[in-house]
Amino acid sequence: MIEAQNLTRRYGDFTAVHGISFTVGEGEIVGMLGPNGAGKTTTIRMITGFLPPTSGQVTVAGKDLFESPREARRQLGYLPENVALYGEMRVEEYLAYRARLEGLGRSEVRGAIGEAAERCLLADVRHQLIGTLSKGYRQRVGLATAILHKPSTLVLDEPTVGLDPKQIIAIRELIRDLGRERTLLLSTHILPEVELLCNRVMIIDRGRIVAEGTPEALRERSVGNPSVRLTLKGAPDAGETLKSLAGVISAHAGAGAGAENSAWVVEYAQAADPREEIFRAAVARGWVLLEMARERTTLEDIFVRLTTHDQAGEPLSSDRSDPSDSAPSAPPTEEVPS
Amino acid sequence: MRAVLATYSRELRAYFFSPLAYVVLFFFLVVNGFMFSIIVRSLSDPSAPAGPPLAFFFGGFFFWIILLLITPVLTMRLISEELRSGSVEVLMTAPITEGQVVAGKYLAVLTFYASLWAPTLAYAGILAYNAKVDWGPVAAGYLGILCIGGLLLAIGTFASAMTRSQLVAAFVTIALVLLLFVLGLIDNLFTSEITKQTLGYVSLVGHMEDFAKGIVDTRRLVFYASASWFFLFLASRALADKKWR
Repeated sequence: MIEAQNLTRRYGDFTAVHGISFTVGEGEIVGMLGPNGAGKTTTIRMITGFLPPTSGQVTVAGKDLFESPREARRQLGYLPENVALYGEMRVEEYLAYRARLEGLGRSEVRGAIGEAAERCLLADVRHQLIGTLSKGYRQRVGLATAILHKPSTLVLDEPTVGLDPKQIIAIRELIRDLGRERTLLLSTHILPEVELLCNRVMIIDRGRIVAEGTPEALRERSVGNPSVRLTLKGAPDAGETLKSLAGVISAHAGAGAGAENSAWVVEYAQAADPREEIFRAAVARGWVLLEMARERTTLEDIFVRLTTHDQAGEPLSSDRSDPSDSAPSAPPTEEVPS
Repeated sequence: MRAVLATYSRELRAYFFSPLAYVVLFFFLVVNGFMFSIIVRSLSDPSAPAGPPLAFFFGGFFFWIILLLITPVLTMRLISEELRSGSVEVLMTAPITEGQVVAGKYLAVLTFYASLWAPTLAYAGILAYNAKVDWGPVAAGYLGILCIGGLLLAIGTFASAMTRSQLVAAFVTIALVLLLFVLGLIDNLFTSEITKQTLGYVSLVGHMEDFAKGIVDTRRLVFYASASWFFLFLASRALADKKWR
């Protein structure tokens, strides 16, 4: 359990974090999203006690981080953005050192190392020098040290940055596994990761929380009307017919259909689902339906809308940015590896 | 205490796992062995003034040069390497205080320093085999080596906590140690009795001469203990301060 109240951090005249408050409950995986420089790492460093806040309060598992730092830190496992390890040590030696630093007794150290190494898939490199490990393995060593003392709370800062796709999958699986029994705060700027892993999302921009909620709630709240994307063979004048269907608010030509086909974006009211109607209309009129897909607003759309600024520094309003145009294309959901 | 021990043993291991330790140890023994043989040979000359050989060995010109060179080499990476690599972040989010980190690291470098001198005990053994040795001054001499080395290493630890650059740390260490060393040599430039006394109180060379003669003055011990503690305290403050930026 992490509670942050009114965290503010100034560096000289520059305020990196403006009075952020949030709670990460027991057993929750909360994702912290934000563009680079939004204040994620500063916030995380304040939560882990590395950086004292200019003002504000943090409690970890009920312990105040500044009044009883040792008790609070004991409940906390931390994987920083840049995992810096001692290259001249062997994996096992390093884990033993960290375990003793965390205050584990001689008899507990061995078991703790074994368990952490096994969970983080380090068994085959236990006797290797850390300096010779690949980035993925180092990340895992970092994770292993974070869970070594069985903290109730984990804070991971960009845990998958710089890994290859296979390693990313392995680390994500591990994170999900760890999140089952712990409080977990995860910072990232990789959006699919958040959708895959997190129960709740905070979007941070310019040192403030600009949105918070479950991925679904965020999606629902910020989107206008849902829409369906169609590709028809020919039928350049289908727009009128589509517009007349029940529940449809508007139908306009979409992009990317090629010369022979026509593409349409059909916007419809929240409660309606016109896909069946569209199919029947297509059959009745003899259109060849090549493609029909419901467009889901992705977190990416929301993220881009909330964190893109015009020159005056205000977030672009939602009516100015059509999410499907402004967002860099990324699949709304990613194949979940089993 | 457990945290101090963990830091201490990691740091000590880091010394002995790096080639630096063996390079330093090798040259240290070559230079000291050379000095020792010269001292013994010249004292064997019947026309030479009489005196215990180890008194010349401790506090000689080479002794100070070695101390001045070795201090920054041993201490420069102690804390600045953690600051540079960023490992300070995981270190300082563990349940350990800045004071404990500094204590563990300082004790490690002090142990390594002591282990550099340990082989020179053989010189005393060689002398004892061939002649009668007065063990009092020898023990006092080694105590002096530990006291003076302890202070210089504390200064080096402080310099290392100030910066993420090992080079800057080494340079600051040399400058501070030289300053301290010179302060004790310039007392005859002053006429004021108080100034002379004050400078005499911090005269490393003077202290070492006393130690080598077998004089153990508790004022000296208090001076070295408190001055070392002072620099270690500064080091822990400097490390804490690093977090604020």
